[in-house]
Amino acid sequence: MTPSLYRPGTTRLHRAPAGLKLAALCAAGIALVLTGSLPVLAAAALAGAGLVRATGVPLRALRGHAAGLAWVTGLVVLATALLDGPDQAVAAGLRILALVLPALAVTLTTRATDLLDALERALSPLERRGWIRADRVGLAVALVLRFVPEIAGQAAALREAQAARGVRTGPVTLIVPLIVRTLVRADAVAEAIDARGYPPGKDERPR
Amino acid sequence: MTISLDTVSASRAGRPVLHGLSAELGERRIGIVGPNGSGKSSLARLLNGLLLPDAGRVRVCGLDTRTQTRAVRRRVGFVFQNPDDQIVFPVVAEDLAFGPRNLGLPKAEAAARAEAALARFGLGHLAERPSHGLSGGEKQLVALCAVLVMEPDLVVFDEPTTLLDLRQRNRVRAAIAGLGQSAVVVSHDLGLIEDFDRVLVVDEGRIVADDAPRPALRWYVDRLS
Repeated sequence: MTPSLYRPGTTRLHRAPAGLKLAALCAAGIALVLTGSLPVLAAAALAGAGLVRATGVPLRALRGHAAGLAWVTGLVVLATALLDGPDQAVAAGLRILALVLPALAVTLTTRATDLLDALERALSPLERRGWIRADRVGLAVALVLRFVPEIAGQAAALREAQAARGVRTGPVTLIVPLIVRTLVRADAVAEAIDARGYPPGKDERPR
Repeated sequence: MTISLDTVSASRAGRPVLHGLSAELGERRIGIVGPNGSGKSSLARLLNGLLLPDAGRVRVCGLDTRTQTRAVRRRVGFVFQNPDDQIVFPVVAEDLAFGPRNLGLPKAEAAARAEAALARFGLGHLAERPSHGLSGGEKQLVALCAVLVMEPDLVVFDEPTTLLDLRQRNRVRAAIAGLGQSAVVVSHDLGLIEDFDRVLVVDEGRIVADDAPRPALRWYVDRLS
């Protein structure tokens, strides 16, 4: 699992402004939630696959993500089929693909800092009203991108350690120690962020 | 770079860890050794205000760590034992730009500093790599670069070689030896600090020996190992 997905490149998607990509993604997301038309959803999913292809990233490098996406999509389709019938299940599956594939294309072609800058610019009107600190939201998103693979790695290490001791791994035996480790780790990371001069002083806010 | 500890006591998580430390430190390379739990990492944290004294005063270049914490942190960089805790951005170049951006530097200047720091250690090829995919030694050097881009006068290292294999340890040792800045290094790796200018031995929250490396390390090995 590699949520820090960005792959350097020179494709048109790489060169497109991060803000434009995020705005397009948001607009597409809203439109896809509002429509239930199977042909439209199928076309959007195909377009999403086309965008991933246009990133220039070899498909074999995306196998892990494809497997994860297939699992999630399969589960949603199955549950929807049982609850709402086959038509709704197909629509739900196509909607997920149409939402996730373009998002994958954007993260493959956009540096995290560019995404965060765009996010902070988008949030700046709220900051001017004193409702939020946009840089804090940006840092929180960066930390999620950075530490999801670390936490996944810790989960794998815990599973191995438990298996080595003959413990049958289940949600509780895994999640409780994982949460404890993650909270301890969060303290250490917060300390390191402090040491690196965050938050910037009023006269030091990044330009 | 002068560091002044004036009868400093400090606690971590409500537990007293340092008791009445006093010292004047002005040497270019200072080592700190001691058993696990002796307070040496806490002593290191005092130096850039990560830990504030309960009593007494810590001054770095005349700046009080309690009342001038931001100014102290601009001058004192801190390299943590586990670089995974220190690297907060998903891509190396982005992480290196984080500190300079906190200093208010424009994006281009922060990126230029990051590029120069990586080039200095022959790590330019790592700039676009995902942070979590680096080797232990690469991560530790990237963590050092992330401190150096802020151009501190003093770099404090908390057990920088503990998690590394021999080859990576040698790379980090060479990096520390080549620093232009003053350095304070907490370490169990006695070979790392044997050529330093001064070594403090810490035990049970007190400085129990303070001397040139050879006699200080001999004292440590004879009494506490």
